[in-house]
Amino acid sequence: MWSKLVGSSLLGVALLAGADIRGTITIDRKLTHRNVTASAGIYQRGISVPLETEADDDPVAFERSHVAVYIEGNPSGSGGASQPLIPPAQPAIEQRDRRFFPDLIVIPAGSTVSFPNFDPIFHNVFSLSKAKSFDLGNYPKGQTRTVSFAAPGVIAVYCHLHSNMSATIMVTPNRWATRADVTGAFTLKDVPAGTYTVVAWHKAAGTFRRTITIGESGDAQLNFTLPFLEAFGTKPIAHR
Amino acid sequence: MRFATRTFLSSFVPIAILLAVSFWVVRASVISTVRDGLRTSVRDNQVALTREQQRTEAGNQKLLEGIAENSALKAGLQLLITERSARDEARNTVQDQISEIGDSLHADFIMVSDANALPLAAMVRDAGGFAPVDLRRVHLPHQGFFTADDRLYDVASVPILEAGTQVASLTVGSRFDITRFGTSAVLLRDGSLIAAQTRDLAPAQIEKALAVCPAAADCEVNIQDQRYLSLPLGMNRGAGGDGYTLRTLQNVDAASAPLQAVLRRQFLVAGLVALAAMLAISALSTRAIARPLADLAERLRACATAGEFPEFPERPGDLREIRDLMHGFNQAAKAVRESRENLTQAYVQFVGSLAQALDARDAYTAGHSQRVSEYSCAIAKVMRLPDADIENIRVGALLHDIGKIGISDLVLQKPERLSPEEEQLIRRHPVIGKRILANVQGLESYLNIVELHHENWNGTGYPQGLKETDIPLQARIVKVADAYDAMTSDRPYRRGMPHTKALSILSDAAGIEMDAAVVQAFAALDHGGKLRAAVDATGSLRNLTLAVSTATVKPHEAGEPEPANRPAQTRTESHGLPSGKGTA
Repeated sequence: MWSKLVGSSLLGVALLAGADIRGTITIDRKLTHRNVTASAGIYQRGISVPLETEADDDPVAFERSHVAVYIEGNPSGSGGASQPLIPPAQPAIEQRDRRFFPDLIVIPAGSTVSFPNFDPIFHNVFSLSKAKSFDLGNYPKGQTRTVSFAAPGVIAVYCHLHSNMSATIMVTPNRWATRADVTGAFTLKDVPAGTYTVVAWHKAAGTFRRTITIGESGDAQLNFTLPFLEAFGTKPIAHR
Repeated sequence: MRFATRTFLSSFVPIAILLAVSFWVVRASVISTVRDGLRTSVRDNQVALTREQQRTEAGNQKLLEGIAENSALKAGLQLLITERSARDEARNTVQDQISEIGDSLHADFIMVSDANALPLAAMVRDAGGFAPVDLRRVHLPHQGFFTADDRLYDVASVPILEAGTQVASLTVGSRFDITRFGTSAVLLRDGSLIAAQTRDLAPAQIEKALAVCPAAADCEVNIQDQRYLSLPLGMNRGAGGDGYTLRTLQNVDAASAPLQAVLRRQFLVAGLVALAAMLAISALSTRAIARPLADLAERLRACATAGEFPEFPERPGDLREIRDLMHGFNQAAKAVRESRENLTQAYVQFVGSLAQALDARDAYTAGHSQRVSEYSCAIAKVMRLPDADIENIRVGALLHDIGKIGISDLVLQKPERLSPEEEQLIRRHPVIGKRILANVQGLESYLNIVELHHENWNGTGYPQGLKETDIPLQARIVKVADAYDAMTSDRPYRRGMPHTKALSILSDAAGIEMDAAVVQAFAALDHGGKLRAAVDATGSLRNLTLAVSTATVKPHEAGEPEPANRPAQTRTESHGLPSGKGTA
């Protein structure tokens, strides 16, 4: 949804358009473990169960859809990280059923995110990340708070009252950023010609960088394979 | 009481009693040892289980304390305490939080209360999830048991600390299940039973038995004659102060009951077998001891019945005492036999004297009994009778006319012919003789000769008229001898006939009045002068033994009568002479 917004907003600068970078994220294994707690009623929470026992969708699809892809640095002749050409519309991270939704957004620096509470209980959204730390305090249903993110970086968002609530905000230095879909496909549109470092980031797998050279015309293809962290503390190997 | 009975009783009864008592004592001691051992083992198990239970609870407590450090919960509580505008959402927030904790702990009840123990939020597990509890109904102790909606919860509380200060309490409970303990447990409140795992006992029994148990101490009680061990269960519950008591209640005898039953049965069987063996041994030994004595007694009794005193042969298997006893008896018997023999001898001599005195009444019959005795013995020898019979014949013949004592001299010595009445009187002498001798012990064997020496072979004799072999042989022998002597002896009214004539008369009478065999034997005696020799031999003997009467005995009594100068026979004697006129 967000990438679509970005894409449509780029129509106005078509004269500067370059080639698209298309690619696929391949993840062969599940990287994270999730529990889901079904809602039994408005004031009742259900019993938590492991996801696999109920979800019949491909668990790897979730992983693929939680990969952020963006171009590192400042592509030549285009808008800088601090000066996005067109500020994106205000994205929102909602709190529903004791979860952040969506739990990953990719936004260019300078965006403002709202955190509306739709739950019948209080939430207290905060982040201690270096790129942006904030604490929105307790607020009940129907209220919202907003935060602006000026610097690029990974912002981990939590709730004071619900330690299992977690969301990630990827603030990128430029507008060439997106989330892969459930199939792992991504498109970075209208990238000017040049040589770039494209980054694929997954919360658990880490950061993967690949360099690509874009000509004046013709789309480029760039695929990533994200391995599982072999062991705790092992630095993931970037594909180049 | 018989010797065997006494031996049996004195050997069996004391040992049987001893055996029974020692069996009982051993049985009681074994059973009590087994029971005590099992009790100890059950008690140890109980103590170990209780310890384990306490350790588990302590672990749970630590876990709860860790959970109470949950910062999200603390933040929620802070929110609940401080929030003024959105109180419902704030409570929802906390209820949601504690539900999550309760879910992760698999608890059935969870509550937070403030520092003053005022409940802030409480959730209880319902079908499918947690539902809030009406706080006005919640009054529960810090630790212990809690009843909500007729359900009993087993709760534990931990403080929620901030900087070391208690700001709230977290209380977690689970549905109380009496069966979840590894052992039999009972839960009481104010002494009345709420839950018990045992179904064997009535609640009243448990309540009554456990009333004496101190709350936090071990306790052993007796219910229905069974010993029960009761230990406080759980480290926190005793101090609940809410009247609840959770204890184990384990029958420590139940484990040993089957074993005890087996032991009892085995001891009973073994005891009965031992008693039976004892009985058999006693019976056998009694028999072994008493049998020789019983045998001896039996032999003595037989002797007493028979009136004889035989010599008992000593048997090789006899006990020394028995042998001694027998030896003594044999000695005594011998003495008795000898004295009896002497007595008999004396009596025979006495009777013999009587007979001779009788003979002496009449000079003509003098020596008659003696001669008849000698002839009879000679015949018996020819007939090869046993020595005992010959001896019997000797004495019997000597006495054969003893009955004549009872007959008047007037009749006996009447020279004239006897009237029929007098004849009858004479004929009574065998019966009178028998009557005289019958009263004397030791002379029984001579009675036949005395009574029946006038019976005839053809049954015409007296007193009984017996025939042929119904007449005892000894009597038949004496009859022949008597007849011969009567014929050959001188009588006042006749001379004795010669030997040959008498013999021919006897031969004629053979098979009629006389036994032919005896007559033949007597005749054989004559050939070769045997009779003579026998008479001579016995005559000299007689002279020695019957010295008293020899003076009156005529010199010719030895047998060969002198036929010539005797007076003619004028009367018939009762000797049954075939030639006589009045033969009976």
